[in-house]
Amino acid sequence: MFKSKQIQRQRQVLVVDDQEINRDVLGLILEDDYEVIYAENGREALEKIQENLDSLSLVMLDLIMPEMDGFEVLETMRDDEEMSSIPVIVLTAEKEAELKALRLGAADFITKPFDVHEIVLARVARIVELSEGRQLISAAEYDKLTMLYNRNFFFEYANRLYTYHPELHLDAVVMNIEQFHSVNALNGREFGDDILRIIGNEIRAFLSETEGIASRFDADRFDIYCVHQDNYHAVLERFQNKVNSISPNVNIHLRMGVKPWSQEVEPIVMFDRARAACNMVRGDYHHPLMIYNDDMLMRELLNQRLLNDLRSAVDDKQLQVYYQPKYDIQCEPPKLSSAEALVRWKHPELGMISPGSFVPLFEGNGLISIVDDFVWREAAQQIAAWKEKYNFTLPVSVNISRTDVFDTTLVDRLKELVEENGLDYSNIKLEITESAYTENSKGLLDLIDSLRELGFAIEMDDFGSGYSSLNMLSSMPIDVLKMDMKFIRNIETNETDRRLVQLVLDIAKYLNVPVVAEGVENEKQLEILRNASCDLVQGYYFSRPLPADEFEKLIEREIATERDR
Amino acid sequence: MTLQELYERIDGDYTQATNVLRMDKLIDKHIRRLPNNGVVDKLIAAADTMDATSLFESAHAIKGVCGNLGLVKLAAAASEISEEFRPGNPRNFTDDEVKAKIAGISELYEKTKAEINNYEASL
Repeated sequence: MFKSKQIQRQRQVLVVDDQEINRDVLGLILEDDYEVIYAENGREALEKIQENLDSLSLVMLDLIMPEMDGFEVLETMRDDEEMSSIPVIVLTAEKEAELKALRLGAADFITKPFDVHEIVLARVARIVELSEGRQLISAAEYDKLTMLYNRNFFFEYANRLYTYHPELHLDAVVMNIEQFHSVNALNGREFGDDILRIIGNEIRAFLSETEGIASRFDADRFDIYCVHQDNYHAVLERFQNKVNSISPNVNIHLRMGVKPWSQEVEPIVMFDRARAACNMVRGDYHHPLMIYNDDMLMRELLNQRLLNDLRSAVDDKQLQVYYQPKYDIQCEPPKLSSAEALVRWKHPELGMISPGSFVPLFEGNGLISIVDDFVWREAAQQIAAWKEKYNFTLPVSVNISRTDVFDTTLVDRLKELVEENGLDYSNIKLEITESAYTENSKGLLDLIDSLRELGFAIEMDDFGSGYSSLNMLSSMPIDVLKMDMKFIRNIETNETDRRLVQLVLDIAKYLNVPVVAEGVENEKQLEILRNASCDLVQGYYFSRPLPADEFEKLIEREIATERDR
Repeated sequence: MTLQELYERIDGDYTQATNVLRMDKLIDKHIRRLPNNGVVDKLIAAADTMDATSLFESAHAIKGVCGNLGLVKLAAAASEISEEFRPGNPRNFTDDEVKAKIAGISELYEKTKAEINNYEASL
């Protein structure tokens, strides 16, 4: 590794003294360690400082000089933004002059005569180091692009405001640019940087009118900690208008989340909540502002509770598997063909929790694989139990989540499950959601190949809910297509939907893939699907999802029907 | 004449000069420049007009130069004048007393100059 001394240039020191002997003595002291330049009076000193603004590390300044004295030099330097960053050591022997010089911004003083060279050298080194450290800190404090605070300094200052000025009641505001990576990709990084800079400028203008601090937290996220604003719509509009005025030809949308001040909520938590609010309006260009409210807090607390309780939910069997039948509608009467295993959570204190409340939550953080594993085990045992009890094999489909797809032990785990329960591979069908196909095509293809080789049937779930392409359909090895329920919802009234369903069914037929229509609720829908040659149907028309013991009635009825068939 | 012998003759503090200037070469350079420095002449000229700024600045310069060179008596005498005329300081001496002190400095300076010239001639 390089030592910092090797990387840095030799530091430059300006010695200002009208007496040659003093210049010589200081030159003698400094020349081994510094590049020394000289001036004989104040006027010449200021010229040399201007010429060497970028390279000068220190000025050593005599106070009593003809033409322009050291005090005048100090005053001029103090009032100049660039010169004021260069530290000055004054050369004097008088207490009062020292005091006056320090008041004018001198960093230190050295008394004449300079009889102990080492002391002079040490003091020079110390002041240079202190000043460079301060400049480093100052550089680290700000984001160069926007001149707003960097994340760490911002939170440090936010915490100080929170601690020392509790009376200010500051709100946390988080602002993002929609699809900023696309803005960059389409218009170039420079354009993206310009937009960030403009937003930074406007935030600073905003903060010159109201009390607060701001940071570019990362990429395109801006955090503002400011006194309460009555109308955040107007605040967001102000920033949006500024961006629009600068870039009339490119649509750039800002979104904002606000966590209004509340008692004893620290800045870090305030900004977490503001960010959560901001994320909630992601992509919603018509409602780009979200104020964090108690419902969100309740939701957040509930989420936390669910995350904490998941393990015991599995251990204590609070999670339960329900089964929803799929019927073959090309027979008359329709024939129970298989079932889908669906999870339910009977919480000891919160009661029945809808899967809509916890499945997306666990999908987001990967814990869904714990839920999936539970469902797979229960379903496999149930298939075996029904086989044993009725001598009837009901294939059950289970969900494979995105997280599971990345699990390298997945194939072995499923294999083990089949073997442990004495099942056939065809007894378990695996539902993989459509969007997983687009996200991880190559890895997923390999996985599906391995699973199909074993004998598992693969069902593409939620087909039509995302962005499937026909191309993907033909290249992906799929055994069953599950048509998303939104296609079915209006088929009896909406001609377009009906045609769309027919189209999907035709394609599937062409690819020789059976289709399951989800969400079938009435006879009319059933008839349309039957006439359109849909093979299988799932939905409330036949049955809602049922616990295993209730589902047994369906099996028993099926066995009786089979006998009469 | 050696430098040390010169310092004995002018009653200077050779050790102090060495501490500040570290090498004989530099002491030699600056002691030989003293007769042409002009600061003492400025002080003497200032005594004629009793111009406070001029008195202060020239006395201050003499104090600094002589301090570095180890010419302690000249430095101390110049310090007395610079303090007398430092802006904001109260005056302690009458003008005549100041003039007498400056005359003393001038006399001491002349003696020193003469010895320096002797030293230079001996090289």
